[in-house]
Formats: sequence, C-alpha cells, structure tokens
Amino acid sequence: MSAADRARAVLTRLVEASAIERILISTAALVLSILIGTAIVLVAGRMTTCAATDAVYYLGTGFCYDPVVVFDRLFLGALGEPFSGNWSPDGQFAVTLRETTLLVFTGLSVAVAFRAGIFNIGTQGQMVVGAMATAVAVLWASSFVSGALGTVLLIPFGVLVGAVFGGLYGTLPGLLKAYADANEVITTIMLNFIATGVTLYLVSGPFKDPGSAANQTVPLPEFARFPSLLFGSRQDFSLVAFAIGILAIGGLYYVIEHTAFGYDVRTSGIQPEAAEYGGVDAAKTVVASLTLSGALGGVAGAMYVMMILGTFQTGLPSYGFDGITVSILAGNNPLGVGVAALLFGILKSGTTVVQFATDVPPQLVGVLRGLIILFVAMPEFFRLLGRRLSPSGPERNPVATDGGRREGETDE
Amino acid sequence: MAAAGRERQMSEAGADAPVGSRLTDTVAAYSTRALAGGTTIAALFVLLVAGAIFPDSIAGTLADVLTSRNTLASALRLSVPIAFAALGGIFAEKSGVINIGLEGLLIISAFTAIYVTDLTGGIWIGFVGGVLASTLLAGLFAIVTIEFRADQIIAGLAVWLIALGLAPFASQVIYNGPNTPTVPTPDAISVPVLAELPFFGALFSASPSVYLLFLSVALSWYVFERTAFGRWIRASGENPKALDTAGVSVRGVRYAAVLLSGVLAGMGGSAFSLDLGQFTGNGPTMVNGKGFIAIVAYLFGNYNPVGAFLSTLLFAGLDAIQTVLQLRGIGIPRQLIRITPFVVVIVVLALVGRTQTPEAAGDHYESGEE
Amino acid sequence: MATAVHLEEITKRFPGVVANDDVDLEVERGTVHALLGENGAGKTTLMNVLYGLYEPTSGRVRLDDEVKSFDSPRDAIDAGVGMIHQHFMLVDPMTVTENITLGNEPRKWGGLAVDREAAREAVVELSARYGFDVDPDAPVEDVSVGEQQRVEILKALYRGADVLILDEPTAVLTPQEVEELFGVIEELTAQGKTIIFITHKLGEAMRAADEITVLRDGRNVGTVAADATTREELAELMVGREVLLDVDREPAQAGEVVASAADIVVEDERGVRAVDDVSFEVRAGEILGIAGVDGNGQAPLVEALTGIETPDAGEIRFLDEDVTSASRRERIASGMAYIPEDRQERGLVMDFGLIENALLGSQHSQEFGPGGRIDWPATREHAEAIIDEYDVRPPDPEAGAESLSGGNQQKFIVGREFERDPKLVVASHPTRGVDVGSIEFIHERLLELRRQGVAVLLVSSKLEEVQGLSDRLAVMYEGEFSGVVDPADTTEEELGLLMAGEQPDSVDERIDSGTEQTAAADSTGGEGA
Repeated sequence: MSAADRARAVLTRLVEASAIERILISTAALVLSILIGTAIVLVAGRMTTCAATDAVYYLGTGFCYDPVVVFDRLFLGALGEPFSGNWSPDGQFAVTLRETTLLVFTGLSVAVAFRAGIFNIGTQGQMVVGAMATAVAVLWASSFVSGALGTVLLIPFGVLVGAVFGGLYGTLPGLLKAYADANEVITTIMLNFIATGVTLYLVSGPFKDPGSAANQTVPLPEFARFPSLLFGSRQDFSLVAFAIGILAIGGLYYVIEHTAFGYDVRTSGIQPEAAEYGGVDAAKTVVASLTLSGALGGVAGAMYVMMILGTFQTGLPSYGFDGITVSILAGNNPLGVGVAALLFGILKSGTTVVQFATDVPPQLVGVLRGLIILFVAMPEFFRLLGRRLSPSGPERNPVATDGGRREGETDE
Repeated sequence: MAAAGRERQMSEAGADAPVGSRLTDTVAAYSTRALAGGTTIAALFVLLVAGAIFPDSIAGTLADVLTSRNTLASALRLSVPIAFAALGGIFAEKSGVINIGLEGLLIISAFTAIYVTDLTGGIWIGFVGGVLASTLLAGLFAIVTIEFRADQIIAGLAVWLIALGLAPFASQVIYNGPNTPTVPTPDAISVPVLAELPFFGALFSASPSVYLLFLSVALSWYVFERTAFGRWIRASGENPKALDTAGVSVRGVRYAAVLLSGVLAGMGGSAFSLDLGQFTGNGPTMVNGKGFIAIVAYLFGNYNPVGAFLSTLLFAGLDAIQTVLQLRGIGIPRQLIRITPFVVVIVVLALVGRTQTPEAAGDHYESGEE
Repeated sequence: MATAVHLEEITKRFPGVVANDDVDLEVERGTVHALLGENGAGKTTLMNVLYGLYEPTSGRVRLDDEVKSFDSPRDAIDAGVGMIHQHFMLVDPMTVTENITLGNEPRKWGGLAVDREAAREAVVELSARYGFDVDPDAPVEDVSVGEQQRVEILKALYRGADVLILDEPTAVLTPQEVEELFGVIEELTAQGKTIIFITHKLGEAMRAADEITVLRDGRNVGTVAADATTREELAELMVGREVLLDVDREPAQAGEVVASAADIVVEDERGVRAVDDVSFEVRAGEILGIAGVDGNGQAPLVEALTGIETPDAGEIRFLDEDVTSASRRERIASGMAYIPEDRQERGLVMDFGLIENALLGSQHSQEFGPGGRIDWPATREHAEAIIDEYDVRPPDPEAGAESLSGGNQQKFIVGREFERDPKLVVASHPTRGVDVGSIEFIHERLLELRRQGVAVLLVSSKLEEVQGLSDRLAVMYEGEFSGVVDPADTTEEELGLLMAGEQPDSVDERIDSGTEQTAAADSTGGEGA
C-alpha cells in the first residue's frame, strides 16, 4: 500500500496548501503594505521640513520621519509598551482591545455574508441603525430600572435591540437581492447613506438631547453602560463586551461549520448549482445570511453606544468599512476574523500613539489599510511571484519580501 | 479547472440570456425612467403654477427658488465633480471593468490639483497635475484588475481607501493639517448678452470647469456613438469574446477605458477643489460620497453620458434647492431631502431588478480561453 | 474537385484528456461536410484547432494544400476561415451593421469617425448577394435567433471567409428556421463557399451534408457520403458498442407505481417546448430507461422530476402524492435520489472534501443534521462507509473532491445517493466519462437496487447501457417520447430509427400496446395518465 500512502500524503499536502496559501498571501500582503508604508514615510519625510537635529539619516540622506520609530510606536505603543516594564491594563492596550471588540463584530458581519457569496458593504449602515436603536431603546428602558440589576438587564436588552434593528436593516437588501435581483453592492451603499441621513435627522430633531449643542441623544446613565472590569474606566473598554466578541467568533464559527444553515450558506456561496441540487433554497439563504450579517453589524453599533460613547452621535467611525478589510484579510473565516480584528485594532489604536510620539500624520494607517486590501485582492500576483521565484532554485531565497521591493519599485 | 468552469458559466449565462426577457428588462428600465422623469416634470409644473397663484405659500417660495438663476448656478457647480466621475465610470464599466474607486480618484485629484497649484502658482498646471494623479491611480487599478485578476469591487474599494488615507496624509505632511491653504480660484467666463438672461443666464456665466464639463459630456457621447473605439468599449463590456474574435485586443481596450476613467474623474476632482480654492480632508474629505453618487447617476442615466449628466443635474439640483430652502428657513428636514436620490435608486432597482449592466462587467477576460 | 481543408493527424490533449486523437479530415471546395458525434466526442475541439483557438498537440492544418499555423482566430480569419459558434459572438445591444463590421469598421474623417453609411451599404450589398434577409439597423437583441445566425454568417463573409464552420447551427433554431438555414447553406456552396457543420442530429447531417464524418471519443470512426449511408449506420457509429458484462437480469418484479409524470411540459428561455407533453410512470423494482441523442429534452425532464425546475404544465406524483411544486429539499427527504448529469457542477462541491460532500442533500435530515446541528462524526462515518462500500479511491475521507478522478467522483455520488435508502433513483448519464471498471460497478449497483424493489429512472445516450439495463425503454426525440418499447425484443436498428424521430413499422404496434399496457396494468394504482 505504499503507493496509496504516497498518494494520500500528496493529497493531504494539497488540502493543507490551500489553507497555508491563504495565510501566506495575507502575511505577504501585510509585509508588502508595511514596506510600501515605509517608503511613503521616507518620501513624506523628505517633503516636509524639520530641524537638522530632529532628522534621522539613512544611507547618508536625512529624513524628517523615521519609519522604524513609526512602526515601533504603532505596534508596541498599541500593546501598551509590553517591554517597558510598567505595562498596565488601563493603558493603550485597553484601547486596542476596545477597537478589536468592535472590529470583531463588523468583521464577522462582512464575513458571514461573504461566505454566502454576498458582498455586504452595508455593515456600516447596519451598525448606525443598531447604534441609534440601542441608544433610544436603552434610554427609554433605563427609566424603569437602576443599579446593578439595571446593568444586568439593560446590557443584554441593548445588544438585542441593536441586533434586531441591524438585522432588519440587513434583511432589506437581502429581500431586494433574493426577490428583485437588485445588486447588493449598490443597495447596501445606498442604505448606508440613508441610514446616516435618517439618523442625522432623528438625532437633530425628535431624539435630540436638549442639553447638548451636538447632534446626539440624551446620554445613557452609567448603569446602562458596559461595566469596566479589571481594565479601569479610563479607556472605555469593557471585558464583558470583549468576552461577547470572543463568544461571537466561536458562535459564528460553530454556525458556519457545524450547523445545517452554515452548510447551506457555504455551499451556496461557492457553488450555487450544487447547493440547488442539495436542496438549498437560494432565496431564503440570501435573506437569512444578510439578516445575520446585519444583526452582527447592529451589535457593533450597540457596543459602540453602550461601551464607548454612552450616547448616539452622528458621524460614527468607519468600523463597518474596516470590517470589510478585516474579513477580506481573514479569508472570511470567523477564527481568522479574530486575528485580523486584533491586527486592525492595533493599527487603529497605535495611530493615536504615533500621532502623539511622532510628527507622522495618523492617516498613514488609512493608507496601509487600503494597500492591504489591494494586495489581498490579487492572489494571482503572489502566485505569479511564487512561480517566478521558486524555479530559480537555491541561489535565490523565495521570500515574499524579496519580491516586495520589486513590486514597490514598479508601483510607486 | 475552476477558471475554466467560471468561463463556461459565463459563456452560458451570456448565451442563455433570453432575448425576450432582456427586451422586457430594457422596456421596463425605460418606462421606469420615463415614469420618474415624467412625475418630476409634472410635479414641477404643478408647483410652478401653484407658486404663481399663491406667491406667499411654501409652493410660492419653492417656485421662486426653482426659477432662481442662483439655483441653476449652484446646481451646475455641484454637478461638476459628480458628472465628471460618472463619465469616467461609464467608460470603465462599459468596457467591463466596474470602477467603484471613483471616489478615491476624486479625492486624490482634488488634493493634488491644489498642491500643484500652490507649488507652481498656475491653476491650469494644478489642474493637469490633479488629472495626472488620478490617472496614475487608475493605472494601478487597471494593472491590478486586468493583469492580476483582482476582484474589481474589492480593488475599487482599495483605491478609495488608499486615496482617503493618502490625500489627508500628504496634506498633513505638507501643510500641517488636513486642510490645505487656499489658492486663487479661476475667474468665471461670461458670454456677453446671454449671461444677462434670466435663469438660463447661469449657463453662460460660470466657471471654466462647467464649460469643460459640457464639452466632455458631448465628446464622450461622440466617442460612444460615432467612433470605432467607442464600439470596441461597448463590445468589450458586453461580449469580450466577440471583440476578441473580431481581432481587437480586449486588454488594450480595457486599459484605455480605465485610464480614461482616471482622466475624467481627475478632471472632476481637480475642478471641484480648484473652484473652491481649497482641499479639505477631514473625515470623508470634501468629496464626501460624490464618487458613489456618480455611480448611481450613471446607472440612473442608463450608461449614457447625456443621461448621466441630466441625472447628476437632478441630484445636484435637489441639493442646491435644499441649501437655499435651509437658508430661507423652510421646515423640510434637510437630511431627509438629501437621502431622496438614494431612496429613488433603491426603488428603481427594486422595480427594474437587474440593472442594465454590461453583460461581462466584473468578469475577468482571458484571451484564448474556451 | 480541389480540397479546401485538410486536417492531418490532429491530436489535441488537455491535461488528463485526449480531446482529439489522430483525426484526419478532408473537405472538398464548395461542399457541405457534416461533423457528427455525441456531446464530448471532440467535434468542437477539432474545429477550434482549425479556427486558431487551440494549437494542436500534433498534426497539421492545410488550406488549399498549404500548411498553415494559426496563433489566433485572427490568423484563421485572415486565411479565410470563419466560425459561427453555437453561442453567438454577438454584442446584443449593437445593431446588425455594427456587429458585422466590429473590428473592421469603415472610417472617415481620418479615422475619427465610423463611416456609418459605408458600413450599412456594405452590409446591404453583402446580404443581397447571398439573398439573406436581415435588417441592417435593428439591434441584434431584437431580431430572431435565425436572423442572429445570419448576422454571424455575414460577419464571417464580411471578413472574407471562404470556409465557414457552423457549430451546432440548428440547436437554437425552430424547424422553419432550420429550413431557412439549409437554404442559406445551399446558396453559399453554390457561390463556391465551403461549409463544415458540427451536429449531433443525424437527420440534419443526412439532409444538408454532402459528406459526413463521425467522431467518437475524439477519434474519426468513419467518413461516409450522405447519399450512401443510412440513419441506422450513423446512429451506430455515433454511440458505438461498448463491451458490457453480461449481467444477470432476472425478470422484473414490478410492483406499485412509485413515481409518475403526466403531460409534462417544460419550456426553455425562448418559450420553445423542450419537454412536450411527456407522461410516464416508474414502478417499484423496475428500471425505466430513457434513450435518445443528447439534447432532446432529457435534461429538462429530469430536472422537472427531481425538483430543480418547476414544469410549465403537467403533474408529477411521487409515492401517491402530488409533488409538482414540492421543493427539492422535500423531494430528497421523501426518498428521491438523483445522480445528476454534471457531477462537477451539481453533484459535488468541488472545493469540499468527501466528508462534507457526503452530507450534500442530507444536511437537514434527522440522521446527520438533527435539530439543525450537523453530526460530523456520523457524517464522517457515512463518508467512510460510502468510500468503503463503493470502492472510492483514494480511500481518504479528507481528500478534496477535486482531487479525485472522474470515475471515483462518480462512484462517490452513486454511493451517496444509493445509501439514502431511496424509493426512486433518477440516474442521469451515470457512467458518462467514467472508466470501464467503474461502469460495470455502477451497472451492478443499479440492478441490485432494482432487486431490492427500488424504482429506477435511467437516462442515457449510450444505447448499450439503456438497452442492457432497462425493463422498459422510452426513446426521446425533440421533447417527446417517440416510443416506449420492450428493450429485449427491439433491435438496435429500430432504436436508431426512434432516436432519429422515425417510426419503424415494426415497432409502431408495440409502442401503442406498450403505453396501453402500462395504463392497463395500472388498474390497482388508480389514476391513469
């Protein structure tokens, strides 16, 4: 049976290769983006002016910005200085986890739709709707309860309200796609604008906090917000919300991998004809997965209101769009979303550290985000690179960074 | 094998598209558009008549606003970035490459135009600089999608996000803030006599960018309707294989079309910021979704340059009116007026179902594949 | 007469497949040559070689005795070869004139504009010369399919084609349009053009061609003059004779009616009846075969029966219940197993491993998905059992479906469907593209099911297969049953005629008695067709 065993080993390797390939491509995209980011920092450092003593020198040339410092601050700063000896949970690390928590939900939201073969760009809108609904509903409910009991009751209530309203807002493009054949990319972008417009109207009119100049709802009482266990209250981070995020990752993983619904979703996402053959109702699957996607987006909104802001205000940060990045980088795998969300949590949180510690503009992170998406979107590029590099054999070391520089040269 | 399967699916889908149902789709699309257009005109007419009879009512104020030359002037001004981007979007998508990154092209050109103007002191040099920046970014998008088979939607999103980060980043580096300083704006060009006309005078006393827009709309129309290149673009988006077997390079046509979309969107972005004399880069930047509205405008205009321009004018007109109304203190919530175009798009999509997108839009095409 | 086209020893290999194996083909100038064969026989591949879409692995292409090598269709077009594909290469929203001149537009104003008048005149002049009836200004999407085809032919002629390849030109045409097409072909050959047309319909080959070459499994199995051959001979050449194991077939113990179809109509997208008023019933413990050349309505009939499509008219009953509009999922649950025609498109999820593929169709069942939760250990055991029982190699449940050979993929599907404990098995071309060993295995399993009292509907275009396995045999032609016969006392010649839509005298009576017989025997079941 040695021949069969050999064949079997080859097959196993093939199966593993696709998963490994995905991880490799994501890593290569990340490394490549950081390299290009480095180039951008250096170029920008030549375009601005600074005192000669502030400049750093590479290869005899002076640069106002030091990419090494930038990326050091970006990553180590976001982790709360793990090597400095006075790491504290109340520092920047809490901000990182806070951002990660929200990105987990928006990332999962995009991922579940992607798995069903649907591109949900509307997570942002679903989050806005969920946030608004939560802010209003919890404020209303907080007049009936108070204290610790209030917290225990209001938090699940608020999350549920966010999920329901976000979910309903996701059902809409689902129905439009399933029964009217309307392209979900366009409808969800439109629904994002509509969500922003309508909530802006509501929050500047009917639900406006009369005591504030800003367009916001009346702030929630302290007991109606996520409690800050262990981490202190300074950074608006709650371990409870984070734990719910971890549960959501596990839950969605379970749903996708271990339930009949998840099987239907995956099958219709990759091979609709086979799904039809296997008795999957395409229309129902589309509606259900977009509803679930919207519900996850809505929970992100609820978290934002009950953990971070304590009220609904217009102009929510773009967690929904970041969710697309997170999901794409994670290969739409729920477990991968956890890792990718942490990475982007670091990037988002590190941005403020970079801003504080250097003169490098924080928008750099936005550029990195775009570059990462761009590279992950073109696996063909890396495969080509891999093919070109591997036959040339031992004298060349086929690592991604090797080709990265070449790419950087041609692109910039 | 997967690629071959997709190709097969594609060709089947293309061939199976029932002639009859496509026809009814088209008819439905036209009738829905006609309905929307007709309703708008009828509503306008009623409003104007009512306004003339009761000058002090809300209708009177509205009618006054609608017939004001200022409204037309600001509608035209607001149209410039959207309509240019829409023209660019038409070129790309008609050739089979969905360019959802128009927003990014507007942002990058809006910033670069101001920067180059500030650097050189020449408005027109700045304009060219902005167009160049947008074209380069579009070129990157073209390479990524045509050469490396990247998903067009995801790559388009990436283009948007890169520009959204890069422009304020550069502004911060150069000017120490997300907003640039102001530069001189171009003078309006007035046609003698005609500029004095009531209402329509606005058409003859406007920024050069408005005239440039008129010219571009006409030229784009000409390219599609009268030149061989225009036909190749259409064929490349509808049935690339037909074009390929006719001996024209689909790749070449698509590259040209995507680069053209960069040029056009770049003209829109540059003109937009130069007319205001400043780039503001806070939050979603000054472009603030205009690239996405452009997509809707050309869908609504059925991929026709003139149609896209007219639907842009409709959206921009709504925006102009609501600004004026706001100033006059009429209580229709601005936020709700602003979302009407988006609601209209969804309603139209729901009624028409599949938009009349080019048959092969979004699909990668590899010559010689069966 | 001069040889216009000469293909010499053409072999075309794709990874793992030999599509053309040492094929020779000679076509005289000014004649019509039919290339006849089943789906997948290699006809289109051969013509794509001639048209420059594929480079042959070995062999030569000669035009007018000159060796040519084409890198692209462009070269072939320049050499005077035009091809009209089965799926038209037309740009729907463009006008007839725009399509014909695409890529070669007459220009004016130094190339800045298309000379639309000149283009239109060229088209009018060309269609007048060949007596074509086309409207030069109509958008292609608004004209009939027949007219679209004439536009394609004009497109080739506009580019100066002398040799025209027509790929399944009649597949999309109505009978009237087919007649028109044959008129066009006559006119073209009268003016010296050479025509090669690809078809799997032998009647048309006989009707329109001067010579006929039959391809089977990528090989040229014979070239005959159209007026010196018979339909039966062609049918035999096409389907061939596979050496089948002589299976023990004890007489059928047909029981209750398990499934029945009454007056089924399925229309295709163009509103043409792909299935036209078909009725049948399948009983427990019998195999009902449906023979026929591919594309005569078998596929839509099977899809209507299994719940992939909803029929436009008629009633489908399964286990005494009306299931005409029941969902696919309900039909699976009630005991209908289905081996689909296209295993890579439908039967397997190619990116899944075998364990996940073992679940396809059972994900909502009590056994593997109780309460919506998938029992993966049980599914894994199930996959292992299928692999073991049906000899799937390699015997690795983790293996990706894509990594299996065609025969093993098919055995896995067969195993999954048979292990559903079905009341009815619909097997559509269960042995297509499968190695000989697997074929025998699948045949034995089908007979085993029959012994166990399962009703089997077997659709196949392999005559030997349906004849050898079926208890009753229906022959389908152009959406209808041209006959239902007892395979044991029907000759291959008679079947060949039925497959060609003819009514052999000797069978006429039996057809009638055949249908009567089933209706009469149905007295216990109650409702007739």
